[in-house]
Amino acid sequence: MFTNFFYLLRQVGIPVSPTSFLRLQKALGIGLITSIDDFYTAARAILVKSERYFDLYDQAFAHHFEGAELKEPEEFELSEVARAMLDEWLKDPKGLADALGMDEESLNKLSPDELLQYFLDRLKEQTGEHHGGGKWIGTGGTSPVGHSGYHPGGMRVGGISRSKSAVKVAMDRRYRDYSQEGPLTQAQIGEALKRLRNLVPAGPKDVINIDETIYQTMKNAGEIEIVFERSLKDRLKVILAIDNGGWSMEPYIELVQTLFNYSRAQFKELRTFFFHNTIYDNLWEDPPRFRKPFKVDDLARLDPETRFIIVGDASMAPYELMATDGSIHIEERTMKPSYERLRFIAETFPKSAWFNPKMADEWPYTRTINVIQEIFPMFELTIDGLENAVSYLMQKN
Amino acid sequence: MSQNNPSTAFAGASKYVLDEELAKIVNISMAVEMPLLLKGEPGTGKTMLAHAIAESLNMRLIVLNVKSSMKLVETLYQYDTLTRLNDSRFGDSSRDVSNIEDYIKMGKIGQSFVSDERVVLLIDEIDKADTDFQDDMLDVLDQMEFDIIEIDKTISAKYRPVIVITSNAKKDLSDPFLGRCNFHHIAFPEPDMMRTIVRVHFPDISKDLLDHTVKAFYRMREFRGIEKKPATRELINWIRALNADSDFRAKDLVKADIPYLGVLFKKSPDYIIAQNSVSRMRL
Repeated sequence: MFTNFFYLLRQVGIPVSPTSFLRLQKALGIGLITSIDDFYTAARAILVKSERYFDLYDQAFAHHFEGAELKEPEEFELSEVARAMLDEWLKDPKGLADALGMDEESLNKLSPDELLQYFLDRLKEQTGEHHGGGKWIGTGGTSPVGHSGYHPGGMRVGGISRSKSAVKVAMDRRYRDYSQEGPLTQAQIGEALKRLRNLVPAGPKDVINIDETIYQTMKNAGEIEIVFERSLKDRLKVILAIDNGGWSMEPYIELVQTLFNYSRAQFKELRTFFFHNTIYDNLWEDPPRFRKPFKVDDLARLDPETRFIIVGDASMAPYELMATDGSIHIEERTMKPSYERLRFIAETFPKSAWFNPKMADEWPYTRTINVIQEIFPMFELTIDGLENAVSYLMQKN
Repeated sequence: MSQNNPSTAFAGASKYVLDEELAKIVNISMAVEMPLLLKGEPGTGKTMLAHAIAESLNMRLIVLNVKSSMKLVETLYQYDTLTRLNDSRFGDSSRDVSNIEDYIKMGKIGQSFVSDERVVLLIDEIDKADTDFQDDMLDVLDQMEFDIIEIDKTISAKYRPVIVITSNAKKDLSDPFLGRCNFHHIAFPEPDMMRTIVRVHFPDISKDLLDHTVKAFYRMREFRGIEKKPATRELINWIRALNADSDFRAKDLVKADIPYLGVLFKKSPDYIIAQNSVSRMRL
């Protein structure tokens, strides 16, 4: 039963295991699930193992069962669907105007209720295909936050329906904030960075392992046997270089600051440098990039085991990266192109990574990102990106 | 908490407001005999749920508070070598020194297995332990038995306990672990739900106080830059503090005069941000 639903979940990218599907069958078998509401809850608890996928699940569920429930949509239910779809469409008013066959101007003049009415009328004229719900599926990255899409008339639509049926609950998309698209919080960053800890036994064996001592003593029939161990120390060194200048980084500053604040609490030895757009002869130890320069050449004297992490959008004019003397700052003159400097850093520290606050699907459109990607492995500044980066940085060899 | 209304399906307890969805999930998990993994913001009642289940089903609750240094065997049993040595030297106890079994003490999971009735086993904050611990523990819970190597004996569960596991981790637990659990994420309650929750804890709270505190509370959760947002637990403690203060009047809250911020914001940077933001807040 519900095999199609199972495959649909897999298809939209929820990692559903066959075992858990069998378990759901078992739950169905013992007669616990008597309504579609029960099924919604039970299937989610059994199949979906992370709140990050709840939103996807809701969408898939709505898509799959909407058809089943809405063969003969009543007025009320239709309006529910319409509202929800409108909500999606209002993010793209032009698309909506096109779809309704009217221009944006006259759309502006309608109140949401009039708009909805108009939309419903149109919906009924057309045949079933229109509410087939193709809109619901597809992860093409619509706006990640909140319900409030842009409406030309300035009204907020959607997110107000309080309904009972599971399909409609699913349509509410209550878990949108928890999906992977959501913003990165400090705690999430901390969670990911925690993995960068590299605790290894170091130093002389000068710590008594009390449990082991007692155990061994007992095994010795009471003859005292003291067990010493080396203490655990975090020997990992991290250098964080942050692009803190210019308009291009402005939208990401809060994100980067969060990362920075958290990483300060995480590591024993952390040095932070700043730069603007890209790195030339100097990195700066002070955020205004003015008082405390640090020569890039001096990096060679540091421990090559250090993890070098760069945070920046890597977006700039190509000459800034490629040309000799490419810096846009008049006082920063150099004979080496930044490109070579970056390469030098990557060679000095074999374990290095570049975090980019821009999403990966935007990368191909910026020339300098492509070039930098050839030098440093680049990761998105998202939970998944951080996790990939951390596992890359912690690889042996 | 009072002990009352025994029943077979879980329907909420005296101090716990249960939403229908969660009740279904608890009942399904009990029926398919799977551990239920609960996630959610700290202070949303993950731990309270286990207490509530135990109370409403009239079962004993065994709590295993996971610690980072914990080894799996500690949660199963402990071989008390020290007492045995002591007994062997001084011999003034009723235990039989040559019988090792006398010196085996059950850990929390062990206790839940050997119990003569069905119990609720709460494994609190599983994310504190390392991944190996988590996976190994789930093996034990899956098979419902473990070996005591010292006496070469297998302990298997008399009654399968109702297992509730909580995790505060923002990141996911390992796949094999998740594969063996049912999962639910307790979302932060909506204001209406929050009113109900507060009323359960303070049955004779005045409407004024309830409205103002809940409103102020949600406003304060929105402060920018807060790291640890106040949750249900903080709200309840806050109202308790306000109730205890005889000088306090609910109207003060409207004037953005918010006492006892420290109850709500426990990290010092958060507290400072809150102090600055409160003066600008209007209800």
